[in-house]
Amino acid sequence: MANAEREKELLEALKQSVIDYDEDAVVEAAKAVVEEGFDAYTAVFDGLVEGMNEVGRMYEEQEYFVPEMLMCADSLYAGLDILKPHIEQKAGGIKGAVVMGVVQGDVHDIGKNIVKMMFDVAGFDVHDLGRDVPMEKFVEEQLKTDSELVLLSAMMTTTMVGMKDIIAKIKEKNPKVKIMIGGAPVSEDLADKWGADGFAKDANNALKDALNMVKALKDLQQQ
Amino acid sequence: MKSKELVLNLLTGKDADRPACYSGMGNVTTAGLEQFGYKFAKVHSDAKMMADTAASSYKLFGYECAVVPYDLCLEAEAIGCVMNPYEEVDQLLYPTIKEKVCHSEDEMTTFPIPDNITSRGRVPMVCEAIRLLKEDIGNEVAIGTYVLGPFTLAGQLMDLNDLFKLSFKKADKVNAMLDRLSNVTIEIAKALRAAGADYICIREMGATTDVLSPKVFRNVIFPHLKKVREALADVPTVLHICGGTNKIMDILNDVGCNAISVETKNNMAKSREDIGYEPLIFGNIDAYNVLVNGSPEDVEKAAIAALEASVDAVWPSCDIWPTAPIENLKTMVETVKKFGAEKWVRKNR
Repeated sequence: MANAEREKELLEALKQSVIDYDEDAVVEAAKAVVEEGFDAYTAVFDGLVEGMNEVGRMYEEQEYFVPEMLMCADSLYAGLDILKPHIEQKAGGIKGAVVMGVVQGDVHDIGKNIVKMMFDVAGFDVHDLGRDVPMEKFVEEQLKTDSELVLLSAMMTTTMVGMKDIIAKIKEKNPKVKIMIGGAPVSEDLADKWGADGFAKDANNALKDALNMVKALKDLQQQ
Repeated sequence: MKSKELVLNLLTGKDADRPACYSGMGNVTTAGLEQFGYKFAKVHSDAKMMADTAASSYKLFGYECAVVPYDLCLEAEAIGCVMNPYEEVDQLLYPTIKEKVCHSEDEMTTFPIPDNITSRGRVPMVCEAIRLLKEDIGNEVAIGTYVLGPFTLAGQLMDLNDLFKLSFKKADKVNAMLDRLSNVTIEIAKALRAAGADYICIREMGATTDVLSPKVFRNVIFPHLKKVREALADVPTVLHICGGTNKIMDILNDVGCNAISVETKNNMAKSREDIGYEPLIFGNIDAYNVLVNGSPEDVEKAAIAALEASVDAVWPSCDIWPTAPIENLKTMVETVKKFGAEKWVRKNR
């Protein structure tokens, strides 16, 4: 079989296995990519991430729900674990850092974890503060790591209110930081009102926006 | 007709003059707390403080109920979880569970549930708050309380990621766990009822169709809600689900509670198309964007829109965020009192 054809086959297998949340099949295809000497970076972006994009679409169409999406994410990570060590030495990857976490009072971290996955994939330094994170911790961590992006998540109306103060605090210390907020009760209106740079209304949109932000940052770095 | 009569008549299928404006969820306000000089983090564990502040919503803006408790940790704590009331934090935060009791898939059917569940944690204290409320304003307004649905309770006891995945992959295991937890929901609900609660809201907010498919809802969430409902057959109950609910209105209706409470994401016209005009549906004022951030005009508009959309009682979509201005809340209640009878779709069809 011609090389290009075999690569295409493996990329398709990676993509489809992520969609089918078939961890074993993802692992098998990822191992084949490494063993047969194909480019791991391509395998991640044109295989795993393509699959996750489709999952995002299916989530939006309500063919898939959160359990399915979590299982797809597990499959993606299984493939990423195998492929990632083979990407590091490659030049031209994105360099960037992001601080993320779920605001204090809120222990719902599924949306945040899905977004985290995309940044992991993109090769970012992800400083994940977890859930129920006090306001000062976001501010401190941003300063300490000099991250370009801060992502705040809240899943309940009763907890999202805390975001307003965190945004103001971070912007006060470092006006150049881009802040993105997400979670079920958050709206574009609130993002504007609170001075955030971006917003995502659910896991899928977070995923899309995360990809867009990664791309925008990449474009900036290439200029 | 008095507020109390209005609320209870409506719930029990008797005649009522107009939709009421009340809730089965938290509605303590910063103004109510300040009046007594109480700190929010402290009111969760003191019956008098809880009752004082709960009554203040009726006293300050005419809310047609008083509801306790304010947090979502009561059941989990009685089972043995540890709650964090955030006493050290200056900003307003609702308590959360910081130590869970179920740490693996295997433990779902084995983690211990104490026998004397209603004498544990803060259950006796919340019962006491209900008794105090009954004495204070129990003749004027209905005293409400809430319990967590079994699935939402499960989410307090174990890792949510695992719970969601297992609901899809191993429905039997989750069903076995939820069956155990439905007994907790039932027992605590009965204790709250015995203390004097006039109605109980069952909050199954973790199971919205924003996260779970209607199929999983039917197979994993529904049977336990039905069990809870049947065990509380003589108690007026309202089933509340957050998020998008249109795809499961028929299932919610099958649970058979006296009323269904939905939030702003619910398209009421579609809901009526699906389950008709007979079931009582409560809702759906945005508890933050309208009640906190809106002007009194916005609130009036939202209350009228909810009435015109055929709600049978105007309920905020969620707990009222405490900083909501009293003027807004007053406007909400007064709008319902003023336009309720005239705009009530049930009476005008």
